[in-house]
Amino acid sequence: MKPPSPLLSVERVSLSYGRFKAVREASFSLGAGEVLGLCGHNGAGKSSIVRMLSGLLRPDSGQIVLDGAPCAFRSVSDAQRQGVALVDQELSVIPALTVAENLALGEPGLGLRGTLPREEARRRLDAVGLDHLDPSRPLEDLSIGERQLVEIARAIGRDARLFILDEPTATLNTADIEHVFKAVRRIAAAGCGVIYVSHRLDEVLALCQQIVVMRDGAVIAEQRAEDLNAAKLVELMIGHAPKPVTKTARTADDGSRILEVSGLSTEPTVDDFNLAVRPGTVTAIAGQVGSGGSDVLRALAGLAPTAQGDVMVQGRRVPLGAPRRSISAGIGFLSADRKGEGLFLSRSISENLLATRLRALSPHAVLQGSRMRATARKIASRIGIDQNRLGEPVRRLSGGNQQKTFLGRCMERDDISVLMLDEPTRGVDVGGRADIHMLLRELASQGVAVIFASSDLEEVLSLADDVVVMRAGRIVSNVPVAETDNVRLLSDMTHARLSEQVA
Amino acid sequence: MFALQLKRVLLPGFTTVTALLILWFAVTTQGFFTLDNARAILASMVFVGMVSIGMTLIMVSGAFVSMALATTATISAMIFMASLSFGLPVAIALTVLVGALTGALQGVAIGGWNANPIIVTIAAAAVLEGVAVAFSHGATINPTGTSYTVLNAHLFGLPVGLYALAVLALTAESILRFTRLGPMIYLMGDNRAAARAAGLPIGRIGTAVFAIAGATASLAGIFMASFNHSASLLLNRGTLGYDAIAAVLIGGAAIGGGRGSVLNTMIGVAIIAIVSDLVLLRGFTTGEQILLKGLVMVAFAVGVHLRQEQRA
Amino acid sequence: MRDFTALTVAGRHRRLRKALPLGILAAIAMLALSLPVWSDVGFSVFSFFNTFQNAATLGLLALAVGLTVMIGEFDLSSIAIFTLGGLLAVKFGEASPMSGIAIAVAAGALLGAVQGGLLVLTGISSVPLTLGGYIVILGLCHIVAGEGILAYGNYDIGIWLDDPVALLFSKRSLLILAVFLLLWLAMRFTRLGSTIRSVGADRRAALASGVSVSRTVAGVFILSGMLCALGGALFSYSASVAKYDLGLDPFIFAVTAVLLGGINVSGGRGNVLGILAGVVAMSLLDTIFIQLAMPTYLIDLARGALLLIVVLIEAPDLARSLTAWKAGRIGAAQAKGRDHSKPLANSGTG
Repeated sequence: MKPPSPLLSVERVSLSYGRFKAVREASFSLGAGEVLGLCGHNGAGKSSIVRMLSGLLRPDSGQIVLDGAPCAFRSVSDAQRQGVALVDQELSVIPALTVAENLALGEPGLGLRGTLPREEARRRLDAVGLDHLDPSRPLEDLSIGERQLVEIARAIGRDARLFILDEPTATLNTADIEHVFKAVRRIAAAGCGVIYVSHRLDEVLALCQQIVVMRDGAVIAEQRAEDLNAAKLVELMIGHAPKPVTKTARTADDGSRILEVSGLSTEPTVDDFNLAVRPGTVTAIAGQVGSGGSDVLRALAGLAPTAQGDVMVQGRRVPLGAPRRSISAGIGFLSADRKGEGLFLSRSISENLLATRLRALSPHAVLQGSRMRATARKIASRIGIDQNRLGEPVRRLSGGNQQKTFLGRCMERDDISVLMLDEPTRGVDVGGRADIHMLLRELASQGVAVIFASSDLEEVLSLADDVVVMRAGRIVSNVPVAETDNVRLLSDMTHARLSEQVA
Repeated sequence: MFALQLKRVLLPGFTTVTALLILWFAVTTQGFFTLDNARAILASMVFVGMVSIGMTLIMVSGAFVSMALATTATISAMIFMASLSFGLPVAIALTVLVGALTGALQGVAIGGWNANPIIVTIAAAAVLEGVAVAFSHGATINPTGTSYTVLNAHLFGLPVGLYALAVLALTAESILRFTRLGPMIYLMGDNRAAARAAGLPIGRIGTAVFAIAGATASLAGIFMASFNHSASLLLNRGTLGYDAIAAVLIGGAAIGGGRGSVLNTMIGVAIIAIVSDLVLLRGFTTGEQILLKGLVMVAFAVGVHLRQEQRA
Repeated sequence: MRDFTALTVAGRHRRLRKALPLGILAAIAMLALSLPVWSDVGFSVFSFFNTFQNAATLGLLALAVGLTVMIGEFDLSSIAIFTLGGLLAVKFGEASPMSGIAIAVAAGALLGAVQGGLLVLTGISSVPLTLGGYIVILGLCHIVAGEGILAYGNYDIGIWLDDPVALLFSKRSLLILAVFLLLWLAMRFTRLGSTIRSVGADRRAALASGVSVSRTVAGVFILSGMLCALGGALFSYSASVAKYDLGLDPFIFAVTAVLLGGINVSGGRGNVLGILAGVVAMSLLDTIFIQLAMPTYLIDLARGALLLIVVLIEAPDLARSLTAWKAGRIGAAQAKGRDHSKPLANSGTG
């Protein structure tokens, strides 16, 4: 039962980044009053679709038709004017203002006073189910989910017809998710269209009428939600059904533990995390964005001031909350925020490589130039970076080489016994990715315990020995890689445990 | 959008135009190209030069500037004059120690706790000045003996202070290039969060930077006191601190930190000295001199900023 | 449960921020009123009159500084514009005081526009730009003053401005109070308040909401320039004299008042009445110092120390380094404890 002319239709849209085809001739449509779930694993092309619909990028070919008229958005604000509202995790509301002020902020035509009439503010809040909320409340008193609803309410007031919600629930708790659901149903009932992008399949199945599945840039399926279930969806996203698991014997466990974590929690993202790691193994903490894996690593690296719990490295307790303590205990950490918290972009490659070992290279506080050059060259040859480029600023390197440089910082060192990486290959090309994986395996073979957090199934399966899956801040499963596969992993990451259901 | 066009037009010509402008001024000013004038310019570099060494380290470390260095120099001048009775070496050591200590205290707050550097140093300057008045009662401090005059001596026709400046600048540049502290300062200035995550002792680096800055400022104070044969808070009435900041900006240090060199700053000091000399020879009033220096500073601050934007 | 705690934390911070200026003001007022108890000087009606006169002198400067801090910038040139405003008003306002004020305010607006415009166009950080601006304007002050002090011959206007009204106030302090109230009303009841706060809190979000950020930044710099110049003009009329360099002391007063008034250094929070409370608190403190016959240098020292304390409390990494320090102490304590059992524990891993 589709209305004759859909609210939105995406017609044979393609988009490339350089040689990489992110979206290939994708087509789907959305009727007024409908909620459409957009599913697909990392790199399937969802976010490219979202960017094109919200005016951030323009398609190379094909067209986007909104309300029967083909449209080309020149910018985000242009898309906003034409009735597209994007709500993503980075909220565009101001906590220091009240709800009513946020609703009116920047809205044209409100005159000098710049406030909405009370009834109008009420109407907009009611439209998203915030009927209990006093508009004069400061926004910072609201939960993250309620703030998101205020942003949606603001967009409603500005005549948005198409709402794109990009992973709206990744950082929300259950009560808030319920709020967002109610709001989505209401705005759909009011005749708007909603595109709901989420990794959480149970949510998509519960909320959406129509589901579009993407894989490798193409639309694989466009089906009614009632014809689908979680298992089928996972199968569509991966491309095949779960294979029977071939059990292999665990590598001999001599009982030695290089890292032991018990009862680790950081408010509000991680709850009671326990882990024991043997030397020479690679452990993946798999989970979707916001599931807590990177928060675990940050806490262990001493970068989360509120972290609580017991952490032992080689039998010694490591106090949390001080990065230098963690490093001197032998924990190396490479942040996912390579540019903000990792590299020194305008300094040279060799300086970046040597940043954490300056003490060792300068007995009596004087740098030993020849030793520094030799060390830098040695690391460069190991990570595969041209030695003639060592003096260049890191800013000029490709994503892959930047990440290798970042990794190089923790190589050729005896004092690092646990190496932690958050999204080790985000923004890295295929070749660089293979190189980095090889380097990590090499480090493990030298006895270093490698732990990485990732939402990339392929990476988890090809690199790890043991896989810990997290969802909503808790451990869902912890198995050797041989006892799992991509379907089981994705199920664990996105909804209930498949292994339990099967059993 | 407009800023982009602005950059394209302004940047390539900026350095050339400035150089040509200064050259034209120099050629058309009577008495500029004389040996005596060259000597005068070199001699005038001493005080600003010493303060700007510390200022360079501060800017490279990402704390932008200290507004307390001129006051530190003045107070050091007073301490130096007052402590000359213990002998010249003791007086110098004591003065530099106090200067380094006052700097270090600010460095703890700015480096370790990330407190706003401008406000901290302005407040510190006020406190220092208050303490200085408390001890001197606002009076001029006259030296005991004449041992300090050795600092006013000339060697091969140039003042001792200039040699001291050269030694100091080379030492500071060596610290930046050849000691462990150097790379740490650059790294912290380039990205404070990354330096913290990499386990660099950012509190100690900040403290060291401000301690060195305090020490170089107090050396400037020592030479100022010797040059004037006395010291009082009135020494602080000039534009010493601002000249030093302008010199660092002209030297091309990154406003946000992470790039800059003491030797480049010395070129900036020379340019400031030449400009000051030119406007003096041409008979500009104090107001016009200050105005011109301010304009030079704004021009260089904007120029350096735009060039960095372009590179990024 | 979680939401509930989040709510109370944000609420508590806000309440604290709101209560802080009034609390500090009340504490200092208590101190003032209790003067006779612990010293041999007292507080009279005239002392309060003086307090408000003092507040009137630097109030507009503090207001200007506070507004620029609220949008997340820092305007060092404000004190120079204040000085220049005073000089221009004296120089051109001999015959008609109003035209003197008009010229001063116009110059302030122009200087604010130039700096705000450069800021928006180049995206440079405001500290180096306004530091350069400070020096340029200082040079202008020297030029206008002609290397000296400008005396204002029209004494009547100064006497008229400072004539007591209702015992406690003067026309000057009432005028400045009116400016504060006007701006408070404007920020409370027009879009000005939410616009300024949104630009200070999160420029990306403000832009995404449709706020014209560059116009707001430039506008606040113009307003700040006008307020500084007006404050300087009124001050020089009252003193019948204008100097070419006031030093940084008034700026220290203003910044301390702003911070005490609950304005966050990183922008986006605070309100005009908070600044007013901060200004009155600082003036009251000055009056106490004067009543106690404290020498000027001690007053400056106390102001500097107060500013240091306030800015250190605001320091973003203070709590974090305390955590790290504690962790370090735990680590050190354990290292000590470990030494005793070292031979056994470390033989395998070393």
